[in-house]
Parts: sequence; C-alpha cells; structure tokens
Amino acid sequence: MRALSPGRWAAVLLSLSGLLAVVAALGLASGPSGLAPSEVWEVLGGGGAGAAADIVLRIRLPRVVLAAGVGASLAVSGVLFQALLRNPLADPFILGISGGAALGGILVLAFGAAVGLGQSAVPPAAFAGAVGATVLLFAVTGLGGSVSTTALLLTGVVFNAFASAAIVFIASLAGLAEGASIFLWLIGNLSGGEIRLALWVGLFLAVGLACALPLARGLNLLALGEEQAGQLGVEVERHKRVLLLATSLMVGAAVSVSGLVGFVGLIIPHLLRLVLGPDHRLLVPASALGGAAFLVLCDTAARTLLPGRELPVGAITALLGGPLFLVLLRRHHRSVYAP
Amino acid sequence: MFDFARLRLAASSDFARLRLAARRLRRLAVRWRSFVPCVALAALAAGPVASGADADAAVARRVVSLNPSLTAMLVALGAADRLVGVDVWSKRQNPDLAALPTVGGLYNPSLEALVALSPDLVVFVPAAEQRDFHARLDGLGVRVERFDPVRFDEVLASIERLGRIVGREAEARARVAEIGRVRAGLEGAAAGLPRPRAVLILQRDPLFVVGGANFIDEMLTSVGAQNVAGSFPEPYPRVSLEWLVAQAPEVILDSSHDADPPAAHWARFASLPAVVQGRVVRLPVGIATLPGPDLDDALRLLSRSVHGRDLLGGR
Repeated sequence: MRALSPGRWAAVLLSLSGLLAVVAALGLASGPSGLAPSEVWEVLGGGGAGAAADIVLRIRLPRVVLAAGVGASLAVSGVLFQALLRNPLADPFILGISGGAALGGILVLAFGAAVGLGQSAVPPAAFAGAVGATVLLFAVTGLGGSVSTTALLLTGVVFNAFASAAIVFIASLAGLAEGASIFLWLIGNLSGGEIRLALWVGLFLAVGLACALPLARGLNLLALGEEQAGQLGVEVERHKRVLLLATSLMVGAAVSVSGLVGFVGLIIPHLLRLVLGPDHRLLVPASALGGAAFLVLCDTAARTLLPGRELPVGAITALLGGPLFLVLLRRHHRSVYAP
Repeated sequence: MFDFARLRLAASSDFARLRLAARRLRRLAVRWRSFVPCVALAALAAGPVASGADADAAVARRVVSLNPSLTAMLVALGAADRLVGVDVWSKRQNPDLAALPTVGGLYNPSLEALVALSPDLVVFVPAAEQRDFHARLDGLGVRVERFDPVRFDEVLASIERLGRIVGREAEARARVAEIGRVRAGLEGAAAGLPRPRAVLILQRDPLFVVGGANFIDEMLTSVGAQNVAGSFPEPYPRVSLEWLVAQAPEVILDSSHDADPPAAHWARFASLPAVVQGRVVRLPVGIATLPGPDLDDALRLLSRSVHGRDLLGGR
C-alpha cells in the first residue's frame, strides 16, 4: 500500500473535482437542441429566457446534478460493500436493496394508473421498497450480536431472485406501455431527472459519506479479516451495522430515481483502486467524485449520441466502462490484486 | 423504433453477477414487447400480407382474434357473433365481450385454450411471439390470417380484407367510405386554417411520441396539424425531452396513461408555446392511437383537439 500523505490526498481529490467540473460543464453545454455555449452560460448567469432557460435550467441542469448524485452514490456504496463484505464482486445491488426498490417502483409503473398514481409516485414507492428490503435484511441477519457476511450475501441473493421473479410476474400482467417503462427502469435511465429528486439523492449521499469517511481507516483494517481488525481495535460489528444501514439507504435513494444503472458501482471502485491503491481514506471520497464524473459523462452521451433521441444510460455505462476497466486491469492488476 | 440490439449488447456485457436475474428478465422483456407504446396494441394489426386468396376461402364462422384492433374491426362490422375467443386486451377494451373465452395475452396466447375452441380462423398481428405461434397453428391445420397495418391506407385495407373474410364486405366498404368522407371533409375544412406545430405524446417517461410514416401521423396532417416528429423514420420513436422543448410545439396531445394531468405536467416548461397558449390536451387512450375501425372518430377527435372545435360542425 502506498503511503497516503495529506498532500497526495488533496491532490487526487482536487484533480477528480476538476474532472467532475469539466464533465459537468460539458454536460450542460451539450444537447440535441444545439444551443450555443454562450447561450448556456447566459442562462446560468441568470439571464436568458424562453426555450433556452427551459432547456438549461429544467432539463440539462437537473440531469447533470442527478447523474452526479446517482453516480457518486452507486460508486461509494460499491466501495463500501466491497470492503464490508470483503468480496470484490460486491456491487450496490448485491444485498437485495435494488430488488426491493425495483419491486416498489415497478408496482407503481404497472398498476399506478389504475389507482390514480402517476409516474411521479414511482420514486417514493421505489424508496419504500428499498427501505422494506433493508428492514428484511436486518430482520433476517439479526440486529444484535454479530452480522454474518455469508448470511447477508445469501439474504441479498435470495431476495433479489424473489424480486426478479415478482417483476417478471408483474410485467406479464402489465400493458405494453407499462412494459416499456419497466424495461427501461431495469436497465437504468435518468430521463425523468428533476432537481428535487437530485436533492433527495444528494441528502442520502451526504449521510452515507458522513458515516463512511470517519470509519475509512477501520475499513482498511477490515481487509485483514474481521478477527484481526477486532484485535487491532476496530469495533467491527458497530462499523458494519452503521455502514450497512447508511449504504442501503444511499443505494435505495439512487435506485429509486434512476432504476438499475449497472456497472458504476462495480467498476469505479475497482478502477480507482487500480490507479490509487486500496486505502479507503482516499478511495471513498475519490469514488464519490469519480462515480459522479463517470455517470455525468455517460448520461451526456446517452442524451447526445443520437440527435433527438435518448439511449438508456445503463447501456452506455457498460459499453464505455467495460473496455476501459479491462485495459486498466491488464495493466495494473499485479500491483493491486496479487498477494 | 427502439434499438433492442443495442440493449442486448449492454445486457451481455453486464457482468455484475447478481444482476443475472434482471438480465434474464430484460431478455424476456425484449421478446415480449417488441415495443410500441400504447399504440402498440394497435400497430399490431396489418396490411394485407400475402396470405393469398382469403377472399376465396370459405367464410369464417368461428373466429379467434388475438389483437384488440382486429377485434374492434370485427365488432364494428357486425361480426361479433363470429367471435369464439379473444385475447385479454380485446376484452379489456370492449366490455361487451366479457362472456367470451380468453385465450391469453397479446404475447402469450395459450395454444391449448385456443385449439379447444375449435376455431376455423385465427386473426392476429405478427408480434415476435405470435410469429412462432402462427407456425404452430399452421401445423395443427388451423387457418391463420395475419394483419400488420401501419399506414392509414393499410388500416382501411385491413378493414376491407377482414370484411371479406367474415362475409361482411358491404359493411366494410361502408365503413371505409365513411372514414374517407370524414377525412376528405376535414382536409377541406382545415385547408384555409393555420397549421399548428403539434406533437402526440404516447408516453411521458420514457418519452415516446408519434413519428412519421404511420396512420396517426397521416391523420394529424389531414386535420391540419404539422407533426413535429414526422421526420422520424420510425412510427413511434423515443425522443429526448430537450429535443421536444426545442421543437416548440404549439399543440401537445398527450395520450399517455399517466394519471398526472397533462396540463400540470407540461407546465414545467413555461417556454412551450402549447403551454403559453393553453393548448395541452389529454387524448383519451386508445381512440386516436388504435388502427381500428373508427378512424373517422379518431380524425374528428384529433381535429377538435388541434383546433379546439369540430371542423365538421354537427355532422
């Protein structure tokens, strides 16, 4: 493990912040309507009106902020789950939280219209589903005493399988229009971006980071195994419970507004681990910034690759992220993953 | 239309292992829903497709319809008594058929339930799953006719062809003539009027609209509207919200299923001329978007929605 000096910590995070700022500016400046960058800056500076103001302030800005929030939440929860479960395959969806959110959201997508609920009711329902899945997770694995990693993983796998089956069942009952919504929701989609949803995601991201950052050193020791970490003075069980709860809520908030955007939570933590090394004091905040920048970039591509059309951002994350990750893995894996 | 090849690619490169189940589901969804939004139900009906000399074949007496627009045509032609079974969606759309046996949904009809009705004709639309179904029915010696109307004239041709098949040629000709009369009347009445830029929303999020080269686009033109999405080559493209706002439509016809009122939903974008002029209209689901027997009603509904009044007066 390379030593983490305050200088390096600051330099890395500043660079990533710069990257996020550049990508966000690109996102605000790009779109199918071909607004000139000068018009965009005029609107952002408080001037401009009409269609330009609608496009920049009510379409592009909420989406950029939402993509940043969702990307950061997914990447941070990926890094935390990988550390807590000591499993490099862990992603934000591994514990079944996403299954609960998907089930909640899709129930409303499929049957909401029949009971007078519009699509605006989807995020709250999805979040309720995520909370339900979290409660189930803790009820099954036990709140007191030690939380077994195996029990957590099994609960998540089984609940996800159950939720998928239920979703297939619901989709087979739903109409065509609802079926299309369900399908896009499952692949991840930010087209419904609204600023209040972005703020909601940001709130849970802030809670997650506030819980995770002080415990980052403990996460480093946890990599040695729970027993050794305990002997070195880490309050393993308390760490795990706090982080599991905060992370589950963070995932729930992100999934409830964007559906299941894959890849970000798996790839960004690994990518940054390959480049920056495994120290969580740096890895957690770097994942937040890196995940945000990555998803803003992918969503900008989703909005602009085919003029006038929208691609599901979940497809772009995989198409862009997969090759990039494999290249980095080939170059660096010996230094990070080899014993 | 929707690019499923791209989505499949995404799915296949997704190696987050616990999303296996979701991936399976996605594939299922791809197969089930060769997606067309709510219009889909309709779009599934069809222009005469070389199944040959249906006019010469014996008049069908025990008909199973697997598509709501075909069912609606049969009912409108006075051939409801020939129906011995329908799909779930036909039934939802037409409560009068409540007593008929159901043979499954659009994409998952039950072969056994269907054969048990011993039909002498099955009419359907070639969605992905039904194509396979078609072959199996053929194998069992059941006569099958497929329809796939997308353009306005293809819908009319489907009405006439179905009329021949069930021995209701006169009714079919009368229906088509009435539709033609209303269309010509509306075209004449709209000729001198301003042609507002309009968009017909099929679904809000994801945003699907009526594109070009389909019967709805043609009807919008007939009633004197310019479809801002008419240049899309596919009938029901998914478009971006920004593109829509930049198009500055003067009329928004919202036929989405969403329970939130259209006026409130679109008021978010104060720059939209349709919002400024108060011309955001909710279209009842399934009237203007079904390629069925009532295109005259659909045309009049569209003309009222676009111009705020019935151009044909009380007729």
